[in-house]
Amino acid sequence: MTAPDPKSAWRQYVARQRQQPNPEFDMRTAIAGSMTVEPLEPYLGAHLLSKKFKPRINVGPFNQLRQICNDHQAVLGSGDFNAIALLWRVEDLFPEMLAHCLDTPAAVGDLLREVKGLVDSVARLRKSFKGTLIISTPPYPSMPGFELLDIGQASSGMAVFNAISQFWTQHIAQLERVRLLDLHGLLLNAGMSNAHDVRKWQLYRQPYTESFWQDIGRALGRMIAAEKLTSKKCVVLDLDNTLWGGIVGEDRLEGIQLGDDFPGKAYRDFQRHLLYLKSKGVLLAVASKNNPDDAYEVFDKHDAMVLSRKDIAVFEIHWESKVESIKRVAKKLNIGLDAIVFVDDNPKEIGEVTDRLPDVSCVTVPEELAYLPGLLAETDFFDLAEVTDEDRRRTEMMAADNIRQQTQETMSEDEFRKSLNLKIDVFAAQKQHLARVTQLINKTNQFNLTTLRRTQDEVEALVVSKDALVVGMDIKDKYGDYGLVGVSILKKENKTCVIDTLLMSCRVLGRGAEETFIAKLAEAAKTLDCDEMRGRYISTAKNAMVKDLYQRFNFIHDSQTDEWVLKLSEAPKTPKHIEAVLVLESTPIGRQAG
Amino acid sequence: MNDALIQLFAEVLQVDPAELNDNSSPDNLKEWDSLAAMNLVVAIEEKFRVRLSTKEIMKMSTIGLARKTLQRKEVAV
Repeated sequence: MTAPDPKSAWRQYVARQRQQPNPEFDMRTAIAGSMTVEPLEPYLGAHLLSKKFKPRINVGPFNQLRQICNDHQAVLGSGDFNAIALLWRVEDLFPEMLAHCLDTPAAVGDLLREVKGLVDSVARLRKSFKGTLIISTPPYPSMPGFELLDIGQASSGMAVFNAISQFWTQHIAQLERVRLLDLHGLLLNAGMSNAHDVRKWQLYRQPYTESFWQDIGRALGRMIAAEKLTSKKCVVLDLDNTLWGGIVGEDRLEGIQLGDDFPGKAYRDFQRHLLYLKSKGVLLAVASKNNPDDAYEVFDKHDAMVLSRKDIAVFEIHWESKVESIKRVAKKLNIGLDAIVFVDDNPKEIGEVTDRLPDVSCVTVPEELAYLPGLLAETDFFDLAEVTDEDRRRTEMMAADNIRQQTQETMSEDEFRKSLNLKIDVFAAQKQHLARVTQLINKTNQFNLTTLRRTQDEVEALVVSKDALVVGMDIKDKYGDYGLVGVSILKKENKTCVIDTLLMSCRVLGRGAEETFIAKLAEAAKTLDCDEMRGRYISTAKNAMVKDLYQRFNFIHDSQTDEWVLKLSEAPKTPKHIEAVLVLESTPIGRQAG
Repeated sequence: MNDALIQLFAEVLQVDPAELNDNSSPDNLKEWDSLAAMNLVVAIEEKFRVRLSTKEIMKMSTIGLARKTLQRKEVAV
């Protein structure tokens, strides 16, 4: 158990909140289940507290999932919930039918019809509830007939369970924005006999041990927190004794440890996990003190390498300090130091980075190498609510960026801009853009005028609202497609168009995109029958780069309200080298979803 | 008040320790409901590092009886 004890931390917090006349909460959560779920509350609460939320947790009555789905406010209270999480087990809801399936395989069909009924209930709740909706997978049944040690029975029990499990996952996946808490996966991880407390099940209809509730609390807390927290964007990796065993400069290509046998296997499995992170959109970079040729030789020639050179967005291989390397990675990728995770086996390097770059999260290669493959999976650094198309293509987009940069160095600024053939689409965001728009709203720090964070549901409410316009910006050039990289939220107040949100990904700056975005927003404001736009600059630790943005584009400061005002007649024009389109009615045909 | 067991009951039931004594039971304490009973078992097991059988749990119908059960398990309360 971590110190301080999560349960007492939660209890103290609840007691403090009770004493406040009007306690404020920024994460209102409800949990309920087909079994008693009260023990989950302190663990979930403690996890959310550790992520700096001010949570409130309502616990719903046991075994009333249908009622909750039909009318959640009647059962859970009319609190304006940010998230509802429901846990269920087949043996709680359909015990007789489940037992019947063991000796009558044909009965599985009847059971699946009941399960479909639950899917339909969840679909109803999804319609009536706007916040984050999480429902568990059914865990492997804990009931007579399903004992795993009873070899004769186990295979039929497992077949029944697999049929239900697969049916459930497929049907829930078809519902929009219903997230699955993998209760069965957690159970596998903990083990049936470690997770269950048969005494509490018999006495209180509460199946699990405290330590398993803690596992569930942490997993659920991570899912809920991922809706609002920003995840890390890049792993900076050492090479020797981190991606492979040994030192390539001394042991040579043949001498390093990497392959099918331990310890080489631990390094290879770690690389596999890194490749998985890359597929989720995490950028990989290398910071190594080595001769570049030695290091590249491993990437190019070693049979057991999982990562290839094209998987790495930036190489920093030289004899300068890791601190310097990490700073350069941040600069080249245009990300903040707090978006970086640094992995190294050398405690001295870790210590130096911790001291001099406190924003970087450092992870040391464990003494016990068997733990290396799972090193990053245990953290919540890369928890993402939803993986977007832009995420999956990020490293390829970075590669296109490198080509752009090389081209830029051979031309004048003006020639370069013209040669790019920039095409910019500015459009009213639709449902298929919600995930990406929400992601940008929650992770853009630097080019962000107001830094107002929102959940996907809050953004969706604005998209359908008549009084607001959520605007997206797509950019492409002859080297590739950047995807959706700019977001603005406009609110109409009489003849004024208020810029609630204005942000852009930093990768596209400096080529006239800012100017184009403002020009097109002004056009949009005109179609809303406004004659001016007003915006605020809310200063944060990170957004100094846009301090003068409004001034640059003809906005006048109103010292009374501290707003910047643009008469639409004074709006900037789209630069000549850019081909820009504004579409407010519907998305242009052929645009990629996401 | 230095009685560790009373302290534990007070904390879990969220009542003033002064309201509790060895005769306190679910019959005279509305806070001691079935959910609280479950939380009490967890708290006792964690604090005194014991494991209670279902029989022992069933018998702990007052604080005094809980004390006796624990003493039989060589916990000084």
